[in-house]
Amino acid sequence: MDENKRDGLGFAAEYDRPIPYMQRIRDYYVTLGYGAPYRWANYAEVPFTKLTKPLSKSRVALITTAAPYQPDKGDQGPGAAYNAGAKFYKVYSGDTAVDHDLRISHIGYDRLHTTAEDSNTWFPLPAMRRAAAKGRIGEVAPRFHGAPTNRSHVTTIDVDCAELLARCRADNVDAAILVPS
Amino acid sequence: MSLAARHLEANGIPTVIMACAKDIVEFAGVPRFLFSDFPLGNSAGKPKDVASQDLTLELALGLLESATGPRTTMQSPLRWKDDASWKLDFSNIEKMSPEEIARRRAEFDRQKEIAKGIRKGDKAAD
Repeated sequence: MDENKRDGLGFAAEYDRPIPYMQRIRDYYVTLGYGAPYRWANYAEVPFTKLTKPLSKSRVALITTAAPYQPDKGDQGPGAAYNAGAKFYKVYSGDTAVDHDLRISHIGYDRLHTTAEDSNTWFPLPAMRRAAAKGRIGEVAPRFHGAPTNRSHVTTIDVDCAELLARCRADNVDAAILVPS
Repeated sequence: MSLAARHLEANGIPTVIMACAKDIVEFAGVPRFLFSDFPLGNSAGKPKDVASQDLTLELALGLLESATGPRTTMQSPLRWKDDASWKLDFSNIEKMSPEEIARRRAEFDRQKEIAKGIRKGDKAAD
């Protein structure tokens, strides 16, 4: 039993806190023998833009890192091992009026404790449609957009971010929900 | 994804990120962040649990409306499990045997070669 629980303080277990992913991943690759650690993006300044109209009148975009299922690209789950063959390297878009089969086998999700059996856990288009039907948001933008999970920050910023902005502007969106997997 | 949120926001489009990797998203620095303390892959709620998916979206929408400045993080009140020991497992090298580490090294090299092949293919198609 956790010592603090015995003390009656009601503390959670010592490990019951957000997983320190950067430390875990750094230690992991160093031990595997890949010396130069991944450099995660970090910025001192963070931009901020307020909503200009109520959400109930806003057009909201969805951006995902999931990939369209490609039958010729090997096992993509549920429960598939990491599959780099299912990766994509260019921004893509899809019609939000129809359903999509998007997968996350190309992403390092937690394969021990989850199986990627329900795409609603990484692609909340159905939930957004329900929110629109209730009037919580004005509407779902006509397209959702897929963002590549590129390890090059330069490509992400110069190419992918610019493309995502252009597509969101073309769709006249008022706000965007981004869901990495 | 954090970079995309920053870019949209800097160009006048308000954003919210729904994600499970708190340290990585906050390190990048994003305007609004709905954090679910779930295994990676469940940014938008629990599997086969529509109520949790709706709540997760609602919390994110609430952030879009209520955040008054950047780096606003809210943690979802939902728990993956009562027992939090699942958090000890992800990429935890301390829990792996030398055999397991060797197996993973070989698999990593293999996947890297596959990804390299796709990138070359994409460039050829440009």
